[in-house]
Amino acid sequence: MDITAAIDEPAADDLLDTAIGLVTIPPASGSGALGPFVASYGASASLSPGDVDLIAPATIRIDDFRLDWNLSFSFGIDLSTFLPDFCLPRVCVNIPCVGRVCTPRVCIDWPTVSVPVSFSDFVKVTADFGISITESGGVWKVEAVVQGVPNLQFGATTAALLAAISLAVTPILLAIPFAGPFLAVAVNAILVAIGIAGITGFLGPILSPFVSGLRIPIYEQAKNFEAIPASGPTDPAVFVTIDDVRADITSTDEDELVLAIDIS
Amino acid sequence: MTSNTLDSRALGFGDCYGQRFMRPGTYRYDVVRAGGGSIVTDHPYTIEVVAAKGEATMKQHDVMLKTKGRGFVVDSETLTINEGDLVLWTCVDPNAHAFEVSGDQAFFGNAALTNECGYSHAFGAPGRHHWVDALGGPAEGVVTVKEVRCSTPAELASWRKRLSRGTLVMINDGKVEPAEVNIVVGQRVFFAVVATEPMSITDAALVGACRAD
Repeated sequence: MDITAAIDEPAADDLLDTAIGLVTIPPASGSGALGPFVASYGASASLSPGDVDLIAPATIRIDDFRLDWNLSFSFGIDLSTFLPDFCLPRVCVNIPCVGRVCTPRVCIDWPTVSVPVSFSDFVKVTADFGISITESGGVWKVEAVVQGVPNLQFGATTAALLAAISLAVTPILLAIPFAGPFLAVAVNAILVAIGIAGITGFLGPILSPFVSGLRIPIYEQAKNFEAIPASGPTDPAVFVTIDDVRADITSTDEDELVLAIDIS
Repeated sequence: MTSNTLDSRALGFGDCYGQRFMRPGTYRYDVVRAGGGSIVTDHPYTIEVVAAKGEATMKQHDVMLKTKGRGFVVDSETLTINEGDLVLWTCVDPNAHAFEVSGDQAFFGNAALTNECGYSHAFGAPGRHHWVDALGGPAEGVVTVKEVRCSTPAELASWRKRLSRGTLVMINDGKVEPAEVNIVVGQRVFFAVVATEPMSITDAALVGACRAD
């Protein structure tokens, strides 16, 4: 026996809106290149619905769904790159049991300071999803699975993140001795070194996996389940077995997501 | 002869006091025995700070002190520098008494370190040196000085190599970074002050002795 269910685009929009809201994206952490710096990061993200467009034979396009993301990262700045060296002249000291010891001229190395940055924003994504049907562990699943790696357009985010880095760097450098008039030069040099390309190159590998592996659940059902419970000793429960599940997009008068289920 | 005492208020042989001058002007100073700065009225030496032309860079100027009679003399009585430059005073006379660079302005002088300045000390004795701000501020830290073995030429070479490395401690608004450092005998630590209430870097034992008095 076959059971066929079909929903049109508005209904599919409602269904996937609900499904997207239930998707949990696991947080990510690691390290990546932020221009010439190496930054370690922790990131989390969540999804908000977009507009569904059903495209026969098997594509669900979701326009402008939102990926809200939160990123905390830190990177080290070698102050020697920006600040002038200074040196202590040769001196001699008396050391017990040793006598007078003269040190050479000693030049002070500036340390590397860590700059922590926290930043949140969102990016709108349009992506095509295929339909994945699997039966595993006695459970049938129909999911919309993103195709390929959607291109994330960060736009104004890059400038905002550069500004956030500037805000994070400035108070740290203010606490560095002898940074004086070099502060503005140093901050500017850091921002130039990172640049728009550095931001894009940093965010892309962190945020793309949140979308590229996306699976949105559409339908899930145990292969064998009790359809009608027993109502007495002579009227036992009715069990149904799902033998096959098919899903596709049809386009006749209107576009529909069609689910066909063989049961026995 | 001065002892190897950690106290930025009383510079000894092997210590340095550094000060940046951030604004053009004439800054006068004297070098006197430690503790005498508050009664100094004569400032025979001059730092002329002129406006920097072009891109700002910090240059360093070393002023060497020697004893003369009961006082001190410097190797350049008038020094002309650009704004933002660093002047570093050090005494090359092993027989000098503990001394003080005393300027004609509040920020200028090692009796109270205030901003864009520093003090370096070469640690001649092993042990744990706990330092505090003798002027009552919250800054404090520890310098742990380890003994060295110099029984072989390789060990001696290793020690000499370490002597050529300076250690930087940064102090800003009473916060010390790093608060603890580890060095070997003979190595130097430069305490750099960004901006803070007037403070000193003084062996806690000395402050304790004063309080006991």
